[in-house]
Amino acid sequence: MTETLLEVRQLEVVYNRVATAIQGVSLDVPEGSIVALVGTNGAGKTTTLRAISGFLPSEDAQITDGEIRLRGQRINGRMPHQLAKAGVILVPERDKVFATLSIQENLAFAAREGGAITVERIHGYFPRLRERSSQLAGFLSGGEKQMLAIGMALLCRPTLLLIDELSLGLAPIAIKELMDRLRQISKELGLTVLLVEQNVKAALSIADHGYVMESGRVVFYGKAEELMSHPDVREFYLGGAGQAENKSYRDIKQYRRKRRWWG
Amino acid sequence: MARAGTNLRTSYLESNEVLRRPYQKVLIAIVLVGALALPAGSSAFFVHLMNLCFLASIGALGLMILTGFCGQISLGHAAFLAIGAFTTVILSVQLNAPFILVIPAAAVSGAVIGFFVGLPSLRFRGVYLAISTLAMHYAIIFVATSYQAKVGASASAGISIADPSIGAFRLRGEYAWYYFLLVFLTLVTLACVNLVRTRPGRAWMAIRDRDIAAEALGINLTRYKLLAFMLSSTLASVSGSLMAYYSNVVTVERYTLDLAVIYVAMIIVGGMGSILGGLLGAIFITLLPYGIDNLFEFLPRAWRFGSTVFGVQVGAVGVCIILFLLFEPKGIAEIWRRTETYFDRWPFRYRPLDTTRR
Amino acid sequence: MEFAATVVILTCTYALLAAGIVILYKAGRVVNFAHGELAIVGGYVFYSSGLMGGDMSPWLAILGAVVFSVIMGTFIFATMMRRVVGEPFYVAILITVGIAIVLKSGIIVIWRAEQVTIDIGVAPAIQLPRGATLSYMDVASVLLTIAFFAALYLFFTFTRLGVQFRGTAENPLLASQRGVNVNFVLSLAWVIAILAATLSGVLYGGRAFLSSESVTIGLAGLTAALVGGLDSLRGAVVGAFIVALAQYLTVRLIDPVLSEALPFLILLVVMSIRPWGLFGTVEELDRV
Repeated sequence: MTETLLEVRQLEVVYNRVATAIQGVSLDVPEGSIVALVGTNGAGKTTTLRAISGFLPSEDAQITDGEIRLRGQRINGRMPHQLAKAGVILVPERDKVFATLSIQENLAFAAREGGAITVERIHGYFPRLRERSSQLAGFLSGGEKQMLAIGMALLCRPTLLLIDELSLGLAPIAIKELMDRLRQISKELGLTVLLVEQNVKAALSIADHGYVMESGRVVFYGKAEELMSHPDVREFYLGGAGQAENKSYRDIKQYRRKRRWWG
Repeated sequence: MARAGTNLRTSYLESNEVLRRPYQKVLIAIVLVGALALPAGSSAFFVHLMNLCFLASIGALGLMILTGFCGQISLGHAAFLAIGAFTTVILSVQLNAPFILVIPAAAVSGAVIGFFVGLPSLRFRGVYLAISTLAMHYAIIFVATSYQAKVGASASAGISIADPSIGAFRLRGEYAWYYFLLVFLTLVTLACVNLVRTRPGRAWMAIRDRDIAAEALGINLTRYKLLAFMLSSTLASVSGSLMAYYSNVVTVERYTLDLAVIYVAMIIVGGMGSILGGLLGAIFITLLPYGIDNLFEFLPRAWRFGSTVFGVQVGAVGVCIILFLLFEPKGIAEIWRRTETYFDRWPFRYRPLDTTRR
Repeated sequence: MEFAATVVILTCTYALLAAGIVILYKAGRVVNFAHGELAIVGGYVFYSSGLMGGDMSPWLAILGAVVFSVIMGTFIFATMMRRVVGEPFYVAILITVGIAIVLKSGIIVIWRAEQVTIDIGVAPAIQLPRGATLSYMDVASVLLTIAFFAALYLFFTFTRLGVQFRGTAENPLLASQRGVNVNFVLSLAWVIAILAATLSGVLYGGRAFLSSESVTIGLAGLTAALVGGLDSLRGAVVGAFIVALAQYLTVRLIDPVLSEALPFLILLVVMSIRPWGLFGTVEELDRV
């Protein structure tokens, strides 16, 4: 059985000392797999990623309960650059590249000597980056920025790659291309990826497992195929409603689902 | 409901109240009685020190309103003190105007110039506003220097001012000045407290915290920013004028950028956003050099170079600024507030409903 | 000719100050009001270290100046500027004001505020046409300034550390995540800025003199930086030239007393037309 790279147990995060953003969140990310964390806006997915990657103090948030373990070692509350050295690399949702530096400089920023991953290899995965080497990163299109961001993250030699909202603002074709490329990279490098996405279909298409979050809790998890075919997930995230007219609000599945999931 | 805390107010009327609890009223009464009785038991020098504190407080309150409540950084305070002083020179020396007229005149000149100095605040914020006030400072001091040169006064002696008289009564000597300034400062403080607890004060604080949001809520930024500048410069000008009468001499060399920074130190040390802080900060910074002098008494003679003592006095203000900003950013007023709430809540440690710090 | 020589040297002095201010602003969004004081204290340290072995030794002086910059820069950053990173902008600025006061008092206490002229003791001056003289010190000053700016340019454009520096200035959070030690980069910024300031102080001390009053060159340097654009090194040079030229003309043609106020008047004019400075980045910064 593949070892669990990342274990999150009963994580609770509080913002500004008063607002609980997530509660009782538990995740397992097996090594070498791609795990999707999906849910609507405000579900707490980004908060979870931030907690794992050490970015919380900058937002006046704290981990008030629970544990995060990387290969069995507790990593709660470590500083971002320590976690980066341990191989936990986050590609944030916004400000993911240095806009005033060129592509070449962005990649050079993160590059280390030696190691399997070189700038050349990144160019191999994303040929567009080679074409536009000297262009300022601020002037790239959304998809190219994402490619650059992933490239930079890969150059930091991650063991666990955390990606926040990869598909935001991208055209469907770009999303598909990016997702496929991500899967290829993960398989080739044996890289573990935790992918936070609102675009559930795209995320589940490349993931091995998935977790569904809602209102700060994990409400469902399973293999990607199971999630894709689950009726509730289909209805709320994959646009598979199209039933006969609902008579009253009690017939609406969301109401029933919430009652089921929340007991 | 009083036990829930000094700061739990449940109506607009209540939120305007300044002294809510009996102990606060008793405290104020004690302070006032003490202030009235003080000269009886003190040396002339100590009374003189108190006078300096009062004079500084008037100016400091002005800056507290501008920077502490309205959030507009100003490094031009020394220039306004100069305006008050030189208005006094022009009116009392050249035109022989009486004290009763000069003070209001100084207030008016301060207000008018404050209007112009405040204009950049409509366009700039932050550092750029500070720099523009700096520019105004130099411009005003340049004019004052030229005037002083023209009038023919020597640089060190300055221009002398006679003691003021109100009617038949001649205001001279530390004790007479003490009572006069005490009454004056009390009135000024009352006025400031009243401004701050009503609409202008709330508008200023809204501007300080997020002026774009304040504007969106319908607060007229132009009116309130200019009001803050004009009020600040008026108080500074009056303070400068009184200081000119008190020390009987005016010289432009006194009004340096360092003086402006000293006033900024007063409001930082006192605690920005609090009238009490303005008073406490002014007293602290005014007395600081004398305290350091006394400290040096304990050191061996060899250390007591004139320049060393002077240097340490200068440096102490800087050290205070840094230490307070790093460790006690809300100033002495915050220390007072903490003491107050400690005794208020005792034996409890936390106030109920204490989710936000007041 | 005298005119050209004086303006050029004054430009170099202000340009170095402005460069330091720009570096600090780019790195940490801090406007350093203590830069003049740092320059003058640096000059004094240069002078005193040079004299430590008896006669004025340039090597000891340079060593002293470098050690001063490193210690001062790291100290200021580690103890003070690092702690106020998240706070409103005026906190950092007021702390630099506090530092300025302490440094000034240091001049009074340590050096008794004596006026000091720095003289490397290289005697003959170069005679130029129309009766002007240039000392070797002056020539060295100009060359040093050019070399400094060239070094800065090469550093920021071509070295890995320089690229990391620029990235950290733009987005410290992301830089930290990509493995850069942000604290190190920021304290390096302070060290470089103080080095520039010290160099400027030495130049000024060589041409004029050092005293507790000469700290006002800091304000001229600040104005030069603002006129050129707080985040542009190119602008620092241009701004310095404008301020130097204007000051010289004012002293000669109008009124010496006005020369202290003049940089600010220039600044007011520039800010009304182009608030970001001549070469500054046009962004929605918190000033207009």
